[in-house]
Amino acid sequence: MEEPVDTATAILASAAVLLRERTFDDISYRVLADEVGISERTIYRQYPTRPHLLAALSNWIEQSCFPLPPFVTVPDFRAAVHERFRAFDASPAYAHVGARASAISPTLDTEPAYITRAIEAMLDVAAPTLNQRDRRRIAASLRYFSSAMFWARLRTGFDLDAGEICDAFDRAVDTVLAKLPSSATWAQP
Amino acid sequence: MTVPELSGTQEAILAAYAELIEEVGSDDVSYRVIARRAGIAERTVFRNYPTRVDLLLATAAWIEATLFARAESQSIFDVPLAIRDAMLRYDERPELAHVVAETAMRGVNGAAPSPGRAQLERLLDTEVPSLDAAQRTAIVAALSHLDSVGTWVTFRREFGMDRRDIADAAAWAAEAVLDTIRDRVVSPTFRSR
Repeated sequence: MEEPVDTATAILASAAVLLRERTFDDISYRVLADEVGISERTIYRQYPTRPHLLAALSNWIEQSCFPLPPFVTVPDFRAAVHERFRAFDASPAYAHVGARASAISPTLDTEPAYITRAIEAMLDVAAPTLNQRDRRRIAASLRYFSSAMFWARLRTGFDLDAGEICDAFDRAVDTVLAKLPSSATWAQP
Repeated sequence: MTVPELSGTQEAILAAYAELIEEVGSDDVSYRVIARRAGIAERTVFRNYPTRVDLLLATAAWIEATLFARAESQSIFDVPLAIRDAMLRYDERPELAHVVAETAMRGVNGAAPSPGRAQLERLLDTEVPSLDAAQRTAIVAALSHLDSVGTWVTFRREFGMDRRDIADAAAWAAEAVLDTIRDRVVSPTFRSR
């Protein structure tokens, strides 16, 4: 992790350190302020509510700990998601912050995540003549099965490890892609 | 889905909190305001829900069991219909939908992320008992993932879908998951109950 450059980033870096020993709910602004060495008021100025802090922390963790490998083809997409699920499994506290942040009521004008755009671009190349309705159905399904939420649900609700989660993900992707007309240029699994 | 037995006071607290969440969000509501809305003393709220996390998890469970309650599917092949209905219901209460979605993503300290798992397994085992363990897990996990508020949140946030599009895409995905087992059903005549 690189050196924090400004107050906002320093707060997030300290919150990430605190996450190793406690849950997000147990990181009060008081505790966080002491950890950074600034006043509580300064934190409120940067992150007026806890949802703001959660969203920013999740973005920061995403960038520093879970960078998404680029992908263009379906096999690369699968490999990229596998790598992320394994990284989530290695840092579950961080991954849960990502899953939580993706579930809260958006605090700012949230842009779709990079992975959403990448999935849409992948579909444009693989199935250029596919109608809009089916394209969105497929993109949305692939996006949702590749999410931190999927990892979190299978880990907590089904007690699965990264390998098993990757397997369930692959099977879900198979069922979605099987819906495509045969003209699509998928590398078949 | 298990509904914890609630006292009248507890139910009043959770309903008051849910109302306030829809008005001002979950972050800014004090126990004092909740108590006033429920028409009880603040210490009664504390006695029932010592921490904000206790209160939030209980409220999320209550919302799932009441406002977002669904008819039980009689067949695994009815699940896409239930998912479609559920998406429309989430869309009527967006703030509460986000709260339920978020509390299910907290890991072991949070709400159960797959409350419908046991029922899906029961239906699948009755209707399609020939699956191997990995297939069974994958289907139950995929359906249970789709049959959750997370679907509504993700499709809305990431794709800007409206309620019809969300309901359509979620039910479509569930049908896709069922495609692999559509004609592997045990005939009802041979099914022992």
